[in-house]
Amino acid sequence: MANSETGVAPAALRDAAIGRLEYSSPLGAYATTDSVRYLFLEKRGVGVVSARIVPGESVAAVSGTLPGLSWDEREMAQEFHIPFDRLPDARPLRPELGELAPAVVATGAGVTQVVVGPVHAGIIEPGRFTFSSGGETIVHLDFQIGYAYRGLERSFEGAEPLDLRRRVARICGGCSAARSLAYAMAIESISNAPVSEPVHCARQIIAELERIYNHVFDLSACCAAAGWGFGQTAGLGLKERALRICQAASGHRLLFDAIVPGGVGAGVLEDRKEVQTLLLMLQESVEEYAGALLDNSSLVSRWKGTGVLTNEAARALAAVGPAHRASGGSVDVRDAAPYGAYQWLPAIPAREEAGDVFARCRVKIAELRDSFRLIARAFSGLGEYQLELSTIVPPNSGDSVTVVEGPRGAETVAVTLSGGLVERVHFISASYRNWPSVAHATIANIIPDAPLVNKSFNLCYACADR
Amino acid sequence: MNALAGPDYDITQNGWDIVASPRHADVITVTGPMVDAMRTPAARTLEAVPDPKVVVAIGDCAAGTGVFAGTSGAGAGAGVELGATIIVPGCPPTPSMIKDGLLLAAQALSDQLASSV
Repeated sequence: MANSETGVAPAALRDAAIGRLEYSSPLGAYATTDSVRYLFLEKRGVGVVSARIVPGESVAAVSGTLPGLSWDEREMAQEFHIPFDRLPDARPLRPELGELAPAVVATGAGVTQVVVGPVHAGIIEPGRFTFSSGGETIVHLDFQIGYAYRGLERSFEGAEPLDLRRRVARICGGCSAARSLAYAMAIESISNAPVSEPVHCARQIIAELERIYNHVFDLSACCAAAGWGFGQTAGLGLKERALRICQAASGHRLLFDAIVPGGVGAGVLEDRKEVQTLLLMLQESVEEYAGALLDNSSLVSRWKGTGVLTNEAARALAAVGPAHRASGGSVDVRDAAPYGAYQWLPAIPAREEAGDVFARCRVKIAELRDSFRLIARAFSGLGEYQLELSTIVPPNSGDSVTVVEGPRGAETVAVTLSGGLVERVHFISASYRNWPSVAHATIANIIPDAPLVNKSFNLCYACADR
Repeated sequence: MNALAGPDYDITQNGWDIVASPRHADVITVTGPMVDAMRTPAARTLEAVPDPKVVVAIGDCAAGTGVFAGTSGAGAGAGVELGATIIVPGCPPTPSMIKDGLLLAAQALSDQLASSV
């Protein structure tokens, strides 16, 4: 099914995009060689508002009104030289000649700057956090990425679409299955090749397994950053069990290559009894773990009120995923635009109002519980069905934008085929979408709580950079 | 890498620790392709590590192999460019394989210390 697309004149883009916000959520925007496309979440999937680039005509930028699209517009300006009329932040998003753009800092009496990164004190990916602080209180945080920018989208152009899936799966490690699913759905949409219900069930199991191991790790990390060693270590133990279940289910601890265009990878869910048995035991342990977290009053007191992302900020910054839902948002792609098995095995969106670290952890606990439930239902739907290898043959040309709910939120993939090869492919990761919210949520907290705020989102750097 | 701090692989039982500063480190592990913007920070980090030190490349990208090898943003692999003497292959390698690589690194360090006496 083709995406619904509305074309407007470049000067009318801002009004058209802002108008869309009345009834749909923004997913992001990207450029092709001759157009810009703004993406919105609709019941059927992704709706597009596009404008053809006309020489001499400036494009009405959206980020002045919706700051959440600032990164997308900076990227389009830098990479495709899209002539926006005015950008609130006109700095290049990515490094140029090996250097990041200067950080935005706060100045004033008693304000100092502390630059953290790109190499960090813990095992995290590279990024530069420039804190402006008054004493211990963070007055401003400018977070900049680009240290994992590998130029992948350009390198993917000219690839054979089925061949490309291995590289798509490896853009990052934590959202691999979700991104692979969105990519597979895009190719299937272009090819007009639906997959069977049992295959949808198998994919749902894989996708929910990814959500489980990520959410467990996030909770462990929030314990680490709040100073509870037992919570950190126990959580790591649970994550290890989850990864071994992923290995048993797909042959790979991080589910790489488990979801492919047209179906699932070879050997996926061969031993269903084994996976289900391990999952039952893990579910029990996760339930116990969640209880231990919520019962720990000193842990909860460190989580409560820390790293608040208000509902207003979450909307202005176009936050997605658990972070959005923890700040009062109601959008979960599995529910708002159901795809695959979610169409008849729906997910129950979680929601909290406080927008603090505690709220994000509560959302993840609720989602964990729901993931186990969904997987059990999906296994019933899968039954003893023999999963076969995909036989999809993509056509010469076509275009599709798809979105799924990955562990961190909406994972969007746009593919254009031409001459049988990939002409343009763009990935908007939930992490890309949410990094500005992390920076914003850190403001007014104390510096020692910055790692806690960061870990309560636990975003990827690699899939934001690409 | 994170799993090494967890209960299943627990490198502290081998007397190792993941430290917060290169000034406290003996082994540097590196992952990924060498992105332009990382070149200087990585070199500076390595300079800050006192001798003797060992650089371990973790994963296919750092080893210069893997699915992104050859793309313009990948360089030769971070491990290759930083002179890694130990390579742990895989996409990604399992925590057990990483631990094995660190054992080799510890051995290499002992050898370096012994030969410098």
